[in-house]
Amino acid sequence: MNSSARIVLGLVIIVAVVAGVFAFLQAPQTAHGPTESPAGNVSPITIGFIAPLTGDGAALGQNEKVAVELAVSEVNMAGGIGGRPLNVIYEDGQCTGKVASNAANKLINVDNVPVILGGLCSGETMSFAAAAEQAKRVVLSPCSSAPAITDAGDYIFRDYPSDLFQGAFGAKYVYEQLGKRKAAIVYVKSDYGVGLDKVFREEFTNLGGTIVADEGYDQAARDLRTQLTKVKASNPDIVYFVGYTEGSTVGLKQAADLNLGVSMFGADGWGDPKLWTDVGVAGEGAMYTTVSAPLSDDFKAKMKEKTGSEEVLTCSPGAYDGIKILAQVMSKVGTDPTAIKDELYKVEYIGGVSAARVAFDENGDPAEASFAVKVVKDGKAVIR
Amino acid sequence: MEIFAQLVANSVIAGATYTILTLGFNLIYGATRFTNMAYGVVAATGGYAFFFLTRTVGLPMIPSIIAGALFSGVVGVLTDRLIFSPLRKKNVRPSVHVIASLGAFVAIQALLSIFFGAEFWTLLPSGTVRVFDVAGASVTEVQWWIMGIAAAVSGLLFVVLRFTLFGKVVRALSDDEEVGKMLGINTDRTIGIVFFIGSMIAGLGGILVGFDTGIQPTMGLFILIEAAVPSIIGGIGNLAGGVIAAFLFGFVENFGIWFIASQWKAAIAFGLLTLFLIFKPEGIMGKK
Repeated sequence: MNSSARIVLGLVIIVAVVAGVFAFLQAPQTAHGPTESPAGNVSPITIGFIAPLTGDGAALGQNEKVAVELAVSEVNMAGGIGGRPLNVIYEDGQCTGKVASNAANKLINVDNVPVILGGLCSGETMSFAAAAEQAKRVVLSPCSSAPAITDAGDYIFRDYPSDLFQGAFGAKYVYEQLGKRKAAIVYVKSDYGVGLDKVFREEFTNLGGTIVADEGYDQAARDLRTQLTKVKASNPDIVYFVGYTEGSTVGLKQAADLNLGVSMFGADGWGDPKLWTDVGVAGEGAMYTTVSAPLSDDFKAKMKEKTGSEEVLTCSPGAYDGIKILAQVMSKVGTDPTAIKDELYKVEYIGGVSAARVAFDENGDPAEASFAVKVVKDGKAVIR
Repeated sequence: MEIFAQLVANSVIAGATYTILTLGFNLIYGATRFTNMAYGVVAATGGYAFFFLTRTVGLPMIPSIIAGALFSGVVGVLTDRLIFSPLRKKNVRPSVHVIASLGAFVAIQALLSIFFGAEFWTLLPSGTVRVFDVAGASVTEVQWWIMGIAAAVSGLLFVVLRFTLFGKVVRALSDDEEVGKMLGINTDRTIGIVFFIGSMIAGLGGILVGFDTGIQPTMGLFILIEAAVPSIIGGIGNLAGGVIAAFLFGFVENFGIWFIASQWKAAIAFGLLTLFLIFKPEGIMGKK
C-alpha cells in the first residue's frame, strides 16, 4: 500500500469512528429527550453514592449499597419526593482517597448531583470534602468516623459518630471494664486509623494507663510481622488494633503465629463477618467497639431478604437512615443544595435504625452517640 | 533478646521470599535485557491458579502448587510469544519492551479482578499452620517451606546454569545476544524456555506469598518491587548478587524498624535502593 492510499484509508477510518461516536451519543439523547425536559415534576431526583464496592472494605460497602437500594425503593413506593422518584448513581471509592475523589468530581461536575451519600472510609470522605464544599454540594457520610471530618466544612455532614467518641469509649472500656493498664496500639495509616490512634492514646494515658508501643502500617501492607514483633517485645496487657478487614485478617493471623498471647481489641472496622471466618481460631476472643444501632426487626428482615445474611454490617443503618433523612429534607425544601444544607441542621429524625434520634450539631456531626463492645465467639461477633 | 531472634527470623523469611522472586526476575532479565513489568502479575496468576484449584476444583495441595507454578510458566511464555517475541523481531528499543510489559501487567491484573474479584483472599485457614519455636522466635510451617524452597530453587538454578548446555546457552545470551545468534543459538526458542522457567519460579513465589499472607489482584506490583529491588542492588541480571541482595534487603528492612517506627519500613528499603543507585549503580556483584 502506498502512502497516499494509507492517508485515504486513515481518513475513512477516522470519519467512520467519529460518525459512530456521534450516532452513539445522539441515540440515547433523543430517546430520553422527553423525560429530561422540565415539563412537570416527574423527572427523577438523582443523588450520588460513594463507598468501596471493591478492594478494602468492599464487604461493608456492598452491604451499605443494599441498605441504600432498600431505602430508595421504600421512598419511591411511598410516592417519591414530592412525586419525583429518587435515583442514585453508585460509584466505587475503593476506600482510597484518589479513587473516591475522581468519583466525586464526576458526580459533581458531570452528573451535577445536589447530594453525595458517602464516602464510607474516612479517607474517601476527606478526599472530596473540600471539592464538595467549594461546589456547594451536600455530603452526608453514613460511616466515616475520622475526627477531622468534624471541621471538613459547612456542607459536610455525617450520621455516624466521630472517633473522638469511639476511641475514648474504647480506651475507657479497656481501662475500666477490662482492667488493662499497658496497651500497645497497631493502626492502619489512614485518616481513620491515625484519628483513632491519637484519641485512644490520649484518653488511655489520661486515665492512668501506659501505651507501651504505637505502630502504624500502610493500608496496603499485608505483612505486619515487624510491627507485631515490636508489640510483642513491649509486653502489653492488650493490643488496640485499628484496621480494615484485609490488613486485620493478616494481622490477627500473624499475631497468633507470633504467639502474642494477649487480647486483641479493635474498632468498628472489624464489623465485617468475612474477617472472622477468614482468621478462624486466631480471632477467637477478640473484642471491638461498635456503634450501637437500634436496628428494627423489620429492617433486619428486609436486609436479610436481599443479602441472605443475618448480619447487618456497620455502615448500613446509617446509610438507610441517611436516604430517609435526605428524602424528608428534599420533600420540604426541594433540591437546592444550600437549602438542603440549611434544613439538615434543623432536622430531627426519630425512629431510625442507626440511632433512636438523629440530629446534627453545628459541625454536621451527630448530636449524640452510643457504643457497645462485641466479642468474637466461634467465628461470630456477639454483643459482650 | 527474644525480639532479636524474632527479627533475625523475620529477616531470613523475607530474604528467602525475595530470593525466589528475584531469581526468576533476574533470569528473564539476563536473557532479554529489559525490565519486565509484567513479572509481578505473572507471579500473581500462580497464586490465583492455586486458589482456584484448591477451592473450586478441590485438588490437594501439592498437585495444586505444581499446577499453579506451571500455569504461571505458561502465562509467562504467552506474554513472550504474543508480545515480546514479535517486538524482538522488529528490533525495537528496550524502552518499548518495558512499556509493552506494563501494558501486559495492567491487562492481566484486570483479568484477575474480572474473574476472581478484587477482594483479598487467604490461601490457608488459620489454625491449620503449625508454629515452631526457634531460640525464642516463632517460625510457622509455611515459613520453613519458603526457606526450603528458596534454597532448593537457587541451588537447582545454579547447577543448571553452570553445568548444562542450556545453562551455557543462557549465559551466552546474557553476555551478548547478537554473538549468540551468530554462533547458531536459536535465541527465540531459548528466550521462550527462559520465560517459562522464570515465570514458573515467579508463580511458585506468588503461591508462597499467598500462603504467607494472602492474594489479591494488586499483589503483582508489590511482588515486582520485591523482585526488582534486590536484583538492582545485587547487580541486575546477576543471580548470586540478587540472592545476597535479597537477604540484605530483608535484614535492613526488618532491623531498621528496631530503631525507628515501623511505619517507615518501606522508606528504609527504598532509602537503601537510592543509596545503591547513587554510589554503586552497577550493584553488589555487577560489572562496571
